[in-house]
Amino acid sequence: MTDRRRNFFVLLFVAGLLVLSGLVIVAKPTVLGLDLKGGVSLVYQAKPTKQSAVTGEAVDLTIDIMRQRVDTLGVAEPEIQRTGTDQIDVSLPNVTNAEQAAAQVGKTAQLYFYDWETNVLGPNCKPQPTDAAVTGGQAAGRGAGAVSQYDAVARAAKCPATNTGKETTTGQYYLVNDKTKMVLAGPQEAKADLEAEATGNKITQNADTSVVRVNQGTIVVQAEGRNAGRYYVMRDAPALGGIDITDPRQSLDSGAGGNGQPTVTFDFTDKGKAVWQKITREIAQRGQDSFFGGDARSSFQHFAIVLDGELISAPFIDFQQNPDGIDATNGSEISGGFTIATAQELANLLKTGALPIKLDLISSSSISASLGKQALNQGAIAGLIGLALVSLFLLVVYRVLGLIAIGALGVYAVFLFALVKLIPVTLTLPGIAGLILTIGVAADANIVIFERVKEEVRLGRAIPVAISQGYRKGLTAIIDANVVIFMVAFILFMLATSGVKGFAFMLGVGTIVSFLTAVLLTQAVLGTLARSRTVSSPAMLGTHSKRQRFRWDYMGASKWFFSASGVILLVCALAVGTNGLNLGIDFASGTRIVAELPASATEQAVRDAVVPVAGNAKIQRVSGADFEGGQAFQVSVDTVAPGERAALEKALTAKFGQGTYSFQTIGPTFGKTVAESAIIAVIASLIVISAYIALRFEWRYAVPVLIALIHDLLITAGVYALLGLEVTTSTVAALLTILGYSLYDTIIVFDRVRENVPRMPRATFSQILNRSLSEVLMRSLATSVSTLLPILALLVLGGPTLQDFAIALTVGVITGAYSSIFIATPVMMHWKEAEPVWRSRRARVVEANNGVVPAYVTAAGGAATELEPEQPKRPRGRLTSPENPERAVSGKEFDEMVRDLHGDQAPAATEQLDRPRPEPDPGVKEPEPPPLPSSGADALPEDLVLKDDPSASKGSRRKRNRKHGRR
Amino acid sequence: MGLIAWVMMGLAIWHFAIFIPDRFWGGIVGAFLCAIFGAVVVGFATSGFTVPGNNSITIATALEAIPGALIGLAVAYAIGVRRGNPALHL
Repeated sequence: MTDRRRNFFVLLFVAGLLVLSGLVIVAKPTVLGLDLKGGVSLVYQAKPTKQSAVTGEAVDLTIDIMRQRVDTLGVAEPEIQRTGTDQIDVSLPNVTNAEQAAAQVGKTAQLYFYDWETNVLGPNCKPQPTDAAVTGGQAAGRGAGAVSQYDAVARAAKCPATNTGKETTTGQYYLVNDKTKMVLAGPQEAKADLEAEATGNKITQNADTSVVRVNQGTIVVQAEGRNAGRYYVMRDAPALGGIDITDPRQSLDSGAGGNGQPTVTFDFTDKGKAVWQKITREIAQRGQDSFFGGDARSSFQHFAIVLDGELISAPFIDFQQNPDGIDATNGSEISGGFTIATAQELANLLKTGALPIKLDLISSSSISASLGKQALNQGAIAGLIGLALVSLFLLVVYRVLGLIAIGALGVYAVFLFALVKLIPVTLTLPGIAGLILTIGVAADANIVIFERVKEEVRLGRAIPVAISQGYRKGLTAIIDANVVIFMVAFILFMLATSGVKGFAFMLGVGTIVSFLTAVLLTQAVLGTLARSRTVSSPAMLGTHSKRQRFRWDYMGASKWFFSASGVILLVCALAVGTNGLNLGIDFASGTRIVAELPASATEQAVRDAVVPVAGNAKIQRVSGADFEGGQAFQVSVDTVAPGERAALEKALTAKFGQGTYSFQTIGPTFGKTVAESAIIAVIASLIVISAYIALRFEWRYAVPVLIALIHDLLITAGVYALLGLEVTTSTVAALLTILGYSLYDTIIVFDRVRENVPRMPRATFSQILNRSLSEVLMRSLATSVSTLLPILALLVLGGPTLQDFAIALTVGVITGAYSSIFIATPVMMHWKEAEPVWRSRRARVVEANNGVVPAYVTAAGGAATELEPEQPKRPRGRLTSPENPERAVSGKEFDEMVRDLHGDQAPAATEQLDRPRPEPDPGVKEPEPPPLPSSGADALPEDLVLKDDPSASKGSRRKRNRKHGRR
Repeated sequence: MGLIAWVMMGLAIWHFAIFIPDRFWGGIVGAFLCAIFGAVVVGFATSGFTVPGNNSITIATALEAIPGALIGLAVAYAIGVRRGNPALHL
């Protein structure tokens, strides 16, 4: 297939895809995440129970049950998914009451029925059925006979462990203050969980506090009606469990003697019926036995219904009406203190069944619709401005090429948006950040190629040849860089929390799509235009035909830049030591409230309203046209309980009028998970990047890359410490993205080094690096600028979340560009120059140049100093490697070939040529050159060919360019 | 957080090793590893074999790493000299 035909088919294919994409965009709705449309987001961590360990099956079963519960809430398009091995994310769009949602969705709902009198334990850890001071008598369960939580825990802790097989827990831990006689935290089945709870609630452990363990077989239950101050100690030997009941429903107590109060009625399973009949018969019989005349009610015995450690009800059994126990055929009911809503809630919980595992709510957030709309608008504007800035940059620097790239960017945007709708991807705020960043990636690919094309033009090649060569030579660097960014995005996606997952997904998908549009499409367009008047002159490509390379002794100056980095790091280390990092609530736990206030307010006024309720608070004004009243305030405080949050909202409403409140509460477990996954992600990224670089280049190239990346990460962290910027999960995502971007620049440099090594057989490594840097500096700077432009748009126009990304990315991209040139490259120089082959070559250059190594290779008599590498043969027919149109030779190229014919120097002659030659006597015929020295005198170019050169892997020697003569 | 400060300080000190003729064991990369390792080990030892957290970190935590980094570099250099690494003047 000819180039022209191939280009035609590519353009036709892209046009077809564009039409399809347009149809998808029109037909399919965009799925917005909670942060863009408002709703409640809950993150749970699964904990084992006596009944089940945290296995994949248990988590899946839990998710199924949660989904059924969510369905009972009537929430449209809920999302419940597992994150990692033991976390569950629940997204409930358009729900505003997070507490209610959490109570309904994540409640374990372990329901048990106990024979009350035989299980309530007295001070001696023994049941005392006839002692009303222990059982509460006729006020059983409602607080009579109960003690304080501290006393109950102390009493329970004395009871020995049992193992009857009926126990519902494996034992429980409490943190108590023996001085104030208070229970500070617990119960938790694991001591570590107790510590985490204490840390999360900012509870300091000291000499007055102690951890108390209640053994398996004993439980402490809260008295009926959530009587927080009163607790009972019970033997943990339930007669029935939640699995023994069926068809629970909310009802009204409308039977004989009923009071019309809401109740929960249910039926029993066959096994449940039998057990129920038996247990109620025993309870009735015990009542009968204790009745010695008088009021029979004083002898009624009870059973207790305990839900998740709280006594729901302790009804009595009338032994006169039910001497043989209660027939379970008609089911039973739970009554007492229900409203219709709470009765429905319990019925639903019982209907969907108990969760097999315990769920700890580690993060919850509620976002108002207006806040979501504001975020969406800010993201969209930042994206459009970013796209416009990049387009302007491409147009100014690359003229016609830039115009084509802008077209490709437009096509890329359409493709990506269609893909987002087609999959469908839930578009979140971090996802928008990822999308905007990929604009930079797409532009970078074009810049790499365009700079290469310009370089070829400057070398005097005809424009069609330059375009073809530009794509061919630039492709490897683009593939390497995109593969690395994709791998980092993949790692981030696998390890990150749900919010950052959206960012990673968009970055990964965008990288793939941008590769197709930035390379395939622009190549087809340029290939079609190559011989047209549109790109007939170098000026139209933003270049001139003469060489304009900026030559500077980068390696010579690297010492000073190295020192500058050292000083910056020193300052950063001292800043970290002095200030530490300002860890946001994602890591340190806490509550963040965004209050949209109708009345005009100042930060100080908001602080005055908040501090009396929540203590120390950080107030930050957030402006936006979509906010009610045009303004909002972000309030960051220590973790507040739901009641305190309600008080906080009340205080703000009292002062400023009814506002709209969004909040986010992060527990310590979530922060720990985020920190751990961030560390794993960084290490995994570094390993994968190193492996890839070692594979594509050689392993010695990977080490400087790693050092440069560590340099970038630490400087970014140092800048955060120095400026006191808040570190959030977005910062972590940005740090990982920095790894990919920093590598982009380094790969561009190393790719050129790899190309230049065999071309410069007489040069020292530092000279090769200088030459390589001088060739790619503009390219490296241009890619950095094109990446920075959309990031700056995010920084200026994005909301707080997007700005979190943008700050870290701005620092990272700048240090990344810097470290590619002044850290990675000098480190590689030092390391490679110490190798024997380069050491000996350096010695020869020093000897030939009066004891110094010139910054750039110089040859005697102005002769050529480098070899044109043999073009690797590529399989024909690949879209990415068009036919090489070398048939078109420009005048300059022709002149160069003539020069080559008279000035070729074979690689083996290095030693001869590097030495100063005496001026030839014009009157004397120049003698024949002496025989070539042994090839062992210097490394041949083929000795230095890197791994990816097919000839090297086959062990074959590269043919010398026979057409060239020898001086 | 203490670990970050130590690594940062070790890396900072290593940057100045470029002024010394390279006779380091393992070259500049060996110097890098030794500087970081020295900074972390000495920092860890000086802090009583604990890693200070974000709230307990002080400027002294960062400064503690300096002697460790210098010792690490000195050890790398001494091993290089002992192995007969020729000086590399760049």
